[in-house]
Amino acid sequence: MVLIADGAGRYISSGVIQISVTNLAIIVLMILVFVLAVVLPFPGRHHDDSSDRDS
Amino acid sequence: MTAVDTGQPPVATPTSWTARLRDRISHIVPPGQALPDRQPAYMSSWIYVFGVLTLAALFVVIATGALLALGGVTWWHVSSLGRFVNSLHLWSVELFFAFMVVHLWGMFWMAAWRGNRALTWMTGVVAFLGSIGTAFTGYLSQANFASQWISTQAKDGLNSVGIGAFFNVLNPAQMLLWHVMLLPLVLGVIVVLHVVLVRRHGIVPPVDAHEETAS
Repeated sequence: MVLIADGAGRYISSGVIQISVTNLAIIVLMILVFVLAVVLPFPGRHHDDSSDRDS
Repeated sequence: MTAVDTGQPPVATPTSWTARLRDRISHIVPPGQALPDRQPAYMSSWIYVFGVLTLAALFVVIATGALLALGGVTWWHVSSLGRFVNSLHLWSVELFFAFMVVHLWGMFWMAAWRGNRALTWMTGVVAFLGSIGTAFTGYLSQANFASQWISTQAKDGLNSVGIGAFFNVLNPAQMLLWHVMLLPLVLGVIVVLHVVLVRRHGIVPPVDAHEETAS
């Protein structure tokens, strides 16, 4: 049983919340991707004219 | 509908069901919006990419799932090619959900239900929930110790709310059929409806941008 538990990975616990380090890392990575998608400029974007539909 | 050889190109009368159906199909989306080649400037943002990324991942999911269905359990467990396709199926699902959730976050914070887009938003919500069910039955259909573990963990919760009467997670054949037949069919229809609605009402603009009807 110890071997099986060892294979389950590491967990972070805080009160009733328990999450594996892997899942937490994936969530943090997804939030990072979301933030980058919002703030990073899109290639070829025109900033001078908001009505330009050719971009 | 009657066929009469007049020497002229056939012209359907407004009362024929084919003409009505054709007229209805042609008005599902505005002219030129089914496969547009121009989009509003505000779409030049990475956050708008995640919808089509989700679609692309779903395409790989369906393609690899069809191959797994052709090969069968032994093939995806034993042969190297089967294991490779099985991995492609798993990881395309992981990407599908990751892209879909980022798409969900983007559309939520953009209040994407604005501008008569409530049905577009709701079909997305239903597609998300349906995808969870499809993925869940997929994990139950792996035919390994993981699927056994997941099914025995899930049965008590599902039985406690009465779902187990018609949705028995301990029945691998039922779960496999839900996974490869019922849920993909329903999900496919909802996704098509979602995309058609996006084309019908247009890409939702950012909160501070002006709505653009043409593209």
